Amino acid sequence: MLWRQFAMEWRLYSRDRVALFWTMAFPVLLLLGFGVMFRDNAGPKLTIVRVQSSAPTALDQALDQAMADLHLQVQTLSKAEAEARWSRSETAAQLEPEGSGYRLRLNSYLLAQAGAAAGLANQAYLLAQARLNGAPEPQRIPVQMESPGRRRSASYVTFLLPGLLGLNLVSMGLFAVGMTNVTYREKGKFRRLAVTPLPKWIFLLGQVLHRLTLTVAQAALLILVGRLVFGIQNQGSFLDLLVIMTLGTGCFMAIGFALSGFADTAEGYGAISNLVFFPLMMLSGVYFTLDSAPAWLQQVVALLPLAPFIRALRAVFNDGGSLAGHGLGLSIVGTWALGAFLVALRRFRWA
Amino acid sequence: MSGPALRIRGLRKAFPKVVAVDGVDLEVARGEVFGLLGPNGAGKTTTLEIIEGLTTADAGEIEILGLTWEKNGKEIRARFGVQLQSTSLFNKITPREALDLYGSYYPKRRPTQELLELVQLEEKADAYHVTLSGGQQQRLALALALVNDPELVFLDEPTTGLDPQARRGLWDVVKRMKSEGRTVVLTTHYMDEAEALCDRLAIMDHGRVIATGTPATLISDLAMPSVVELTFEGAAPDPAAFAARLGQAVEPRSDLWEIRTPDPKALLPRLLEAVEAAAIPFQQVHIRRATLEDVFLQRTGRSLRE
Repeated sequence: MLWRQFAMEWRLYSRDRVALFWTMAFPVLLLLGFGVMFRDNAGPKLTIVRVQSSAPTALDQALDQAMADLHLQVQTLSKAEAEARWSRSETAAQLEPEGSGYRLRLNSYLLAQAGAAAGLANQAYLLAQARLNGAPEPQRIPVQMESPGRRRSASYVTFLLPGLLGLNLVSMGLFAVGMTNVTYREKGKFRRLAVTPLPKWIFLLGQVLHRLTLTVAQAALLILVGRLVFGIQNQGSFLDLLVIMTLGTGCFMAIGFALSGFADTAEGYGAISNLVFFPLMMLSGVYFTLDSAPAWLQQVVALLPLAPFIRALRAVFNDGGSLAGHGLGLSIVGTWALGAFLVALRRFRWA
Repeated sequence: MSGPALRIRGLRKAFPKVVAVDGVDLEVARGEVFGLLGPNGAGKTTTLEIIEGLTTADAGEIEILGLTWEKNGKEIRARFGVQLQSTSLFNKITPREALDLYGSYYPKRRPTQELLELVQLEEKADAYHVTLSGGQQQRLALALALVNDPELVFLDEPTTGLDPQARRGLWDVVKRMKSEGRTVVLTTHYMDEAEALCDRLAIMDHGRVIATGTPATLISDLAMPSVVELTFEGAAPDPAAFAARLGQAVEPRSDLWEIRTPDPKALLPRLLEAVEAAAIPFQQVHIRRATLEDVFLQRTGRSLRE
C-alpha cells in the first residue's frame, strides 16, 4: 500500500513537467550563478571607490600601487561621479582626500564588505608611507583560507556547494512541501481520501518518501553539474552523503508537513513557514557566527537541526570526513525528523 | 445481516451562525434506496457528512451496518462507499489510475474494467481528470464509490449540475446498485429524482425531518392530494377577489393559479361557475395529483426551489 502510494505520487508529480523541471533546475541555476559571480575562484572580491585628487601627489601614487599589491580593486572616479555612485548605494567603501591625508567612508548598509575593504586600505596606506619614507617594508601576517576539516581549495564555489544542498532542502521542506499540502487541503483534494480506510501515516510517509527521492535526485544532479562545470569533487564517500541527505530530507520534509497542520490557508502557512525559516537560517550558525548571542540562546540553538546537518554535509563532501564524529549531530537531526513526523501525523487533517 | 443499514437518533450539529442539523432521526432498511429531499441549506449534506465521518456531531447516535464510529471506524470505511458533493481529484490522474489507486485501499475490490464499463467511461479511461466533462467526473465519482463493492452507498447530490441525459444515465447506475442489493442513501433537491429513484424519503427543512415515507404515501397522506391548475396567457392575475367568490384558497404561480383540494370532483362544477361569473380569461384547466413539491409546499408554505 505504501509502495503504491509512493509510486502514484511520483507518477502524478512527474506529469507536471514545469514543476519538475524548475525543481531540478533551481539548485543548479544557483550554483551556476555563484560560479559566474566568483569566477576567478577567489571568493568575494573587495572593491573600493577612490575619489580622484585634484593634483595627484607621490603619496597618492604610492597608495594606489600598494592597494593594487594587496589585491584591493580600486575604482577611481571624479568627485561628482563618486558622490552619485554613493547616493545610489552602490559603494561599500570610499576613499577620499581630506586635507593632506585621506578619509574612509563606509556604507552603513554594506558593513561586512566595507569593513574588510577599509582594513585593506589601511594596510595599503601603511605600506605606501613606508615605501615613500624609504623605510623597510612592514611585514604582514600570512593568511590562509581553510575549511574546518583543514581542506584548502582555490575555488570558493567548492565551499558553497554543500551549503546550497542544505538550503535547497530546507526551502523545499518548509516552502514547497508544506505549501502544496495546505493548498491541496484547501482545495479539498484530500477529502475523498478521508472516507477510505487509507491510514494517514501511509499517505504522509508516501509523500515524504516521494520528496526524499526527489531531493536525492536533485542533489545528484547538482553534484554532477558541480563536477562537470567546476571540477568540484566529493571528497567523502557517497554512501555517507546519502545517509546525511536522507536524514536531512526526512527532517525538513517532516517539519514542513508538521507546520502545514497548523495552518488552514496558504496565506496562513506562508506566515508560519517564514516564522520558522528565518530563525532557523539566522540562528543556525551556518552563515553567521553566534559569538555575540547570549549563552542560553546558543544552547537552545545547538539543538536546532540545520547546523549539525550542514556541518556533517560539509565535513563529508568537502573534507572527506567520515560520519564518526557526527553521531550526536545526526541524532539531533534524526530526532527532529521523527518528532516532526509524529506531530505531522497528529495534526494532519484530510479536510 | 440483520438490523437496519443505518440508524440515527437525535443527531444535532450547530455551526457558529446556524443550527445545521436539529435533532434528526432516521432509519434505513437494508437494500432500500433512501432519499433526503430538501432545499439548499436544509441540512442534508451536513447530515450525510456526519454519517460519513467527515464532520463530528454535537450530539446524537449513529449506527452504520450495526457499527459505530467510536469502535469500528476502519471497518465502516471499508464497507461503505461515498460520493461527495464535489469530488476533487488530482488534475492529472486518469479514471483508470484513480480506480486502481482507491481500490488498493480496500481489502475487497471490484475490477477497474468492470467499474469503467458500469459508468460508461471506457473511452475516457486514460484521459486526465481535468479534461473530463462535469457528467464524466460525476460518473467517475460514482464508480469510486463502488470500488470496494460496498454494502451501503452514500451519494450527495449525484446529479446536480448535470444535463438531463447525464442525469438519466446516473439514475440507471443507481437503479443498478439497488438491483445488486446495495443500500443507497442519497440527497437531492430534485423531486422528480426523489420520485424516480427512492423507495422511501425523508423531507428535510431547517435541519429537521418534516416527513418520512414512500413517495406515494407522502403524497396520499396530504390533506389535499389533488391540485387544480388554471393556466393563463402571460402572467396570472391577482386571485384575491376570485378566491373570495370561490370560498377557497387560490395560490398564484407566475402564469397559473393553483387550487388544492381533497375532492376535485366536487370542486370542479363550483370552480367553473365562479370562472364564468367573474369572466376569468384563463386558457386551460388541469387536474393533477399532488407531487413531492406540493408535499413540501403544504408542509412548509415554501417551494423547494426557493
